[in-house]
Amino acid sequence: MAEETAKTESTLVERWLAEQQQWQRTLLTYLDSVVKNDDFLVHLGNAMRGSLLAGKPYPSAPAAGAATPENAADDRLDRVLFALHELQGQVQDLRLTLEELSNRDKKRGKKSKSGKHKDTE
Amino acid sequence: MSDSGPEAPPDPQRERELEALLALSRRGRAKLERLHEVLTSPGHFGTGATPSTVVYRENKLRLLRLLDESGQPRRGPPVLFVPAPVSRYFIMDLLPGRSFAGFVAAAGFDVYIADFGTPTREDRFADLAYYVDGLVRRCVRTVAALTGESSVNIVGYCLGGTLSLLYAALYPSTVKRLVLLTTTVDGDVQGGIAWVAHRMGLAGESYDEPRLVPAAEVKSWFEMLSPGSNSVVGRVSDLWDRLDDPADRLREVRTMASWVDDVVPAPGRLLAELYRKFGPGVNGLMAGTATVGDRLIDFAQLSMPVLAVSAEKDTIAPPEGVDAVRRIVPQVEVLRLPGGHVGIVAGRAAAALWKRTVEFLGSGGSQGVAQ
Repeated sequence: MAEETAKTESTLVERWLAEQQQWQRTLLTYLDSVVKNDDFLVHLGNAMRGSLLAGKPYPSAPAAGAATPENAADDRLDRVLFALHELQGQVQDLRLTLEELSNRDKKRGKKSKSGKHKDTE
Repeated sequence: MSDSGPEAPPDPQRERELEALLALSRRGRAKLERLHEVLTSPGHFGTGATPSTVVYRENKLRLLRLLDESGQPRRGPPVLFVPAPVSRYFIMDLLPGRSFAGFVAAAGFDVYIADFGTPTREDRFADLAYYVDGLVRRCVRTVAALTGESSVNIVGYCLGGTLSLLYAALYPSTVKRLVLLTTTVDGDVQGGIAWVAHRMGLAGESYDEPRLVPAAEVKSWFEMLSPGSNSVVGRVSDLWDRLDDPADRLREVRTMASWVDDVVPAPGRLLAELYRKFGPGVNGLMAGTATVGDRLIDFAQLSMPVLAVSAEKDTIAPPEGVDAVRRIVPQVEVLRLPGGHVGIVAGRAAAALWKRTVEFLGSGGSQGVAQ
């Protein structure tokens, strides 16, 4: 209550001074976060580009060589790598097919067992 | 005795001006303090909101299976969500209480989400067949193997819808029901991301010597669609205005921004193929000339029920280009909802779509489906 009265009684100059101190505190908080929190700088940089994107920098022009290789050897390597990815897919297909066949056999086995069971009954 | 005379009375006009300036200063400071609070808040950026487990991996792809509260997979009809491979998957599972996939799971379905990941340079050779006949097909096969079901429900979003539609036409017996969300099929309809990409030079993208189209370039196409968002000044001004919102609301905005602004690089070969087959002028999906690899797509093969949803204010996939699906898929149910491209799946009014999707997936005698 007393604080409230003091607030209402403070002059314009005093309120401006208090506001200036608040600004100093706010800026110090930012400075503190920049120093202590690595991610904060990235997030602040994003905010300065108008984005609240978190965890990574706002998309910008890629580094040289990121979109296409800079020499023929890198290009060949990329082609080999991608071919390996395609092979990986084919191997997964094979694995899935084997699983399907195995499951089908299990189902058939169960059916024939239950069929035999019924026959014996 | 003082040299100066008696203190002059304060000028009321000047005092009013200083008071107004003080209020302005306080408001600006409050905004910066709120921004600091939001920027230092923890969050689940870049990941889905619902607990999940990875059931399949291939190259950058992860197939996620949502878990229930006790950390167990759900028992129910399987549903596979296929998001667009040029954006992040977690738009389907954005926030607790704002998760499309979470809603479908809570309704009694066993939900899977394909996370295509972030392509790297060698993935620039990935084409339509790699995605449709490769990644999507193996996701469906994995779901079928895990659940013992011969057919699964598929929900495709945006370009993920295009992949799902093509997959369903190639392997109709493996798809129980198909939901296409904001999926452009008519490439001749003006506007939208495909049209902008065409105007921005996608026609020159090489199929034989593709590049990894940088995220910043893909992002610039999206920015072209929303006036103001392609200028830093406009975006900063928007953000400054938003800082009057409560911190909780800003955290939601931040999560959404972490999806909208986190565009991933795109395989140049895929984009070149999409443009050459389905883009303006060729319009292969509508013309009946669409192919995946060397296989011609025949939409007459789509025997399963299909629901296509467009958004009234969609600038990325204009509703006319989405609704045109009724001209190639006779049994499709077309639904147009109020809202935009992102809003209808993850916005505050997204519940309308979620409920309709659950109704659609649950109809036809599915078991264990709570409405």
